[in-house]
Amino acid sequence: MDTRTAIKEWSLAIRVNHWIMVICIFGLIITGFYIAHPFTVPAGETIDKFFMGYARFVHLIFGVILTFIFLWRVYLAFFSRFHADWKDFLAWTDWKNFWTQIKFYLLVSEKKPEHKFLYGPLQSVAYGGLLAMLVVVVITGVILMGVEYSLGVTGVAYAAVKPIQNMLGGLATVRFIHHIFTWLIILFVVVHIYMAFWYDVVFKEGTISSMVGGRVFRKPHD
Amino acid sequence: MGKDRDAEYRSKVSGYYHQLMEQCQANMDRMDRELPRAREDFGEILKERGVTRRNFLKWTSAMTAALMLPPIFKPMVARAAENFSRLPVVWLHFAECTGCSESFLRTSYPNVDDILLDTISLEYHETLMAAAGYQAEANLEKALKDFPGKFVCVIEGAIPMGLDGKYLTLGPKGKTALELGREVTSKAAATICIGSCSCFGNIQAAKPNPTDAKGIRDALHISTVNIAGCPPSPQNFVGTILHFLMFGGMPPLDSLGRPVWAYGKRIHDYCERRPHYDAGEYVEEWGDDGAKKGWCLYKMGCKGPYTYSNCARIRFNDGMSWPIMAGHGCMGCTEPAFWDTMAPLEKPISEKPIGGWGVTARVDSLGAALTGAAIVGIAAHAGLTAAKGHGQPKKAEPDKESHE
Repeated sequence: MDTRTAIKEWSLAIRVNHWIMVICIFGLIITGFYIAHPFTVPAGETIDKFFMGYARFVHLIFGVILTFIFLWRVYLAFFSRFHADWKDFLAWTDWKNFWTQIKFYLLVSEKKPEHKFLYGPLQSVAYGGLLAMLVVVVITGVILMGVEYSLGVTGVAYAAVKPIQNMLGGLATVRFIHHIFTWLIILFVVVHIYMAFWYDVVFKEGTISSMVGGRVFRKPHD
Repeated sequence: MGKDRDAEYRSKVSGYYHQLMEQCQANMDRMDRELPRAREDFGEILKERGVTRRNFLKWTSAMTAALMLPPIFKPMVARAAENFSRLPVVWLHFAECTGCSESFLRTSYPNVDDILLDTISLEYHETLMAAAGYQAEANLEKALKDFPGKFVCVIEGAIPMGLDGKYLTLGPKGKTALELGREVTSKAAATICIGSCSCFGNIQAAKPNPTDAKGIRDALHISTVNIAGCPPSPQNFVGTILHFLMFGGMPPLDSLGRPVWAYGKRIHDYCERRPHYDAGEYVEEWGDDGAKKGWCLYKMGCKGPYTYSNCARIRFNDGMSWPIMAGHGCMGCTEPAFWDTMAPLEKPISEKPIGGWGVTARVDSLGAALTGAAIVGIAAHAGLTAAKGHGQPKKAEPDKESHE
């Protein structure tokens, strides 16, 4: 009989942040693909239709929320009162553990990787990578938004990132990069969801429910 | 509250424009004294070409508005137009097709812009001058000697930098474009780049760019006014020269050297088909119902959303039409490296292929393939995990499970 104890792993802030980010990313992917590959709305008069307009509106709203959620996440990484996890993003520097984890995940070895950080080495790479992808998507998104809406806070944000627009080689390239990174995020989402379930099944620590309730159930010696 | 603010704003604006007006008048008086005398009377030329006074005034209003100046500047624009032919211009041709010159010169119904360009005081223009060989060279040298620091250098075409610039040599002395460009621009009052070749390199500089062609800014490391476009609209050039005559300097430029009055907004922002874009009405293929109704060309690869230019507002050929009005999408010719960044020209950016190492694919195909591969990998991984009972405590006869 294994005895497990409930350990609080995720603060409320992190959990709320996570699920808002989920909603934003799914909303952005759906509306984003419409903007990239729109279908014609056939019926009705032009004056009564505003489909692309609404799709872009929803996309921009989710995009703005994602921007602030991203900034909040970075803030939590450094200043969270529960657990500032910026150091955990460096878990990959433990090469030995990294190798152990890869072998375990590839089903080659039965030796489980050690729990030294909040994230395993692979997770630290994946989550760090997600944050890096979000930086790119948010910056290119702010450029694409600022081009059209140049007043207020958007104008200030756009002025800050505008030099990047020319550095990258114009709006067409900015848009192209935005599109490419969408696919990278989709890949992350697919693998992330699977790995969360896999971890839940293999380690039996309640990984999935931990992002709701905040607690994992771990054997003391692990 | 609102009224006070309005009044305050108005007095501020009118104060600003009156100051600007004084500056403009002072500068034009100076120009009147300093510029060489006109060879022909502008009023006579207009009469000869059949442009009535009324037409000229209409043109003045349009040009004043295009330059984003209030109506009080109309007389100034008219005066600058009269002085237009007095400004000495040296026009250089480098690696290009002369299409910009052609588009400026060959109009069947010349409007005031075209007449202005016809009367421009060209001290040296490689396509148009009668002189050849050493005589032509002498003309250029004379212009540089007669008007040092006074003439405007207009450049059409990129400079090939490869082989020390020897991909392009000009004239009887076999000077490279690089040498000639350095020599002339160093003595010019201002350098105006006409067309995307001289601005950003255009097709010569498109990948793989065998001659290492560059725009004038990058090649000579000087500041230029870039009238981008392939070809640009004549108004943008004429307006810039008029601005120079009125204020003695070049108009405010964006970070790529293009005048903000002409290149401050995107095609998309002023496009007449924009309402169809927002409504979700797109041309799906050439000649379909949507095309007949004038719907948005976004799905046919229109690059208007990524292109800064005033084409939609001033159009071409005396306001007759412009590419999107004619039924083809914008191909982004005012943007740097547009052959590379905007390609494929008749497909949206999302259809742009990505790749390297001999493999290219659409981003969506590649993304879908990778996602599919990930899902297959996941299924295999999940199956194997279950089959092996991976990570589970092995109690009795662990081998049996793997046989199932």
